Amino acid sequence: MSWTSRIRFVFLLPAVIWVLAFTVFPLGYSLYLAFFKIESRVEVTRERVPVLDEQGEPVLLSSGKPRMQNVVHKTQVTTSEFVGLFNFERLVGDPQVATAIRVTAIFVLVAVPVELALGMLLALLFNQKLLARPMLRTVMILPIFATPLAVGYLFFTIFYEEGGPLGFLGIPFLSNPDWALFSVILVDVWQWTPFCFLVFLAALQGMPDELFEAARIDGASNIDLLTRVILPLLQPTILIVLLLRLAEALKLFDVPFALTGGGPGVATQSYSFLAFRVGLRYFDVGYASAMAYVLLITVMIIVTLFFRRLRETYG
Amino acid sequence: MRYAVLSLIAIVIAMIFLFPFYWALSTSLRNPIETFTVAGLGIPWVDFQPTFDNWISQLATAESRRAMANSTTIAISASVLALILGTPAAYALARFGFRRIPNRDITIWFLSQRVLPPVATVIPFYLVMRTLGLLDTHLALILINATFVLPFVVVIVRQTFLDLPVELEEAAFVDGAGHFTSFWRIALPLAMPAIAATGLIMFAFAWNEFLFAITIASQEAITIPVQMAGAVDTRGVQFWFMAVRAMIAMVPPVLIALLAQRFIVRGLTLGAVKG
Repeated sequence: MSWTSRIRFVFLLPAVIWVLAFTVFPLGYSLYLAFFKIESRVEVTRERVPVLDEQGEPVLLSSGKPRMQNVVHKTQVTTSEFVGLFNFERLVGDPQVATAIRVTAIFVLVAVPVELALGMLLALLFNQKLLARPMLRTVMILPIFATPLAVGYLFFTIFYEEGGPLGFLGIPFLSNPDWALFSVILVDVWQWTPFCFLVFLAALQGMPDELFEAARIDGASNIDLLTRVILPLLQPTILIVLLLRLAEALKLFDVPFALTGGGPGVATQSYSFLAFRVGLRYFDVGYASAMAYVLLITVMIIVTLFFRRLRETYG
Repeated sequence: MRYAVLSLIAIVIAMIFLFPFYWALSTSLRNPIETFTVAGLGIPWVDFQPTFDNWISQLATAESRRAMANSTTIAISASVLALILGTPAAYALARFGFRRIPNRDITIWFLSQRVLPPVATVIPFYLVMRTLGLLDTHLALILINATFVLPFVVVIVRQTFLDLPVELEEAAFVDGAGHFTSFWRIALPLAMPAIAATGLIMFAFAWNEFLFAITIASQEAITIPVQMAGAVDTRGVQFWFMAVRAMIAMVPPVLIALLAQRFIVRGLTLGAVKG
């Protein structure tokens, strides 16, 4: 069923134009900036001018000469110079970028699979008959919507090494570079495992009971049931969750910002965090745009890999 | 037996996931000095005498009140704006056929906006807002948050319209109603519960946004997360106030999660999985 009245454009176009104006245009502008070296500096000039009184007349010294004062002029000068692919070349040899890529890659490759696996295990558990199941399920939903920045600061107090609630473990959660990255991963796992759990549970509960019974009658073990029946049937759901988690994990910014400030040193400085610092703290705008574009292209490649699946889902 | 063991495991796991919230509440009720000295689980009345002093002094500051007012204004305006723009587009993609580009590809185009790394748009957006003189304004943050949640609205609400029976609209159409009337009078009221739930989830997303807020807002337009980050910068880590601010930040979106519970799975998977 599809109508083709012209009114369809009236419905659709405002949203399309909005996205073009506020997403596609900035992205184009960002690409343009990536080819420039942009420097902002404040130029200071001093000038001696006579002091004026309220009537605008120069104030005279006892010697009869006008009294003079120094006036400082500050002007922000932004210069931009076309540098071609220089910003992209800089990326390749920049040790900060290499570290940020390593941090982000470890984070994504550990956190996302753990969240999916743990989420699946919890979903299988909660698909059983349990005491107070609806209430427990509700509790599990809470972390998903907690403000990520607040979560970062909150875990800062939980990981407090002298006297925090986990202090008895004696683990240097935030002061040791490797543990700090582990802590960032742990926070993400706390926040996003519930998301995977919830989606998988919904999908499991949508499966007909007869299916499980039939498999049982055929003598399937629990493991068989999981690997031959449940996982294949859940495959579309798993792929969507994987895509959403991958895309989201690559954006990592709020939690390290609050929890570790990217440290110790640069041990938890994620790629987005570095691009933010370079562009909006050091105002090396061209270079930061080039960095951001590399991330954008990475995400685009991932989405493209999932494109056929998406077309089936939204067909 | 199996039931008891599994239930126990599930309860322990739920407790672990609940613990950080409990810890925030417990810390927020302690005297500053006790935030460092109370060991173990910090149970109120057992390990320390709870007090609301931190809450009272935190809520009394003009900065906190401004941050709360700003977060509320920005999140509501952005969600409403996104619903106004997104709902008709969702209807168009659910009911009409677009020939040049298939509907599903337009839908995926909207969806793909959602997975874009925001750090790629934050720099140009900052420069544009600086040029327009809109730095540190509500308007800039409303525009950007509406942009962020718009793809969600389009994709989720489209699914809602697809799930509605088309016959009602066709019947209205036969009776001489135009497309706009059948959208406004029939489809929209039927989809309203789902649209309202979508709006709630969008509010939570906008409320939680931080990267653009810290970039655009410096004083007048600060949101709660920006205020949290600023307080740590200027006054160091004060666990007792941090816990209060974390609670203030987290409670509204978490309550929304409870309210829109039935709708969350669909909302978070952009309609791909029905909860």
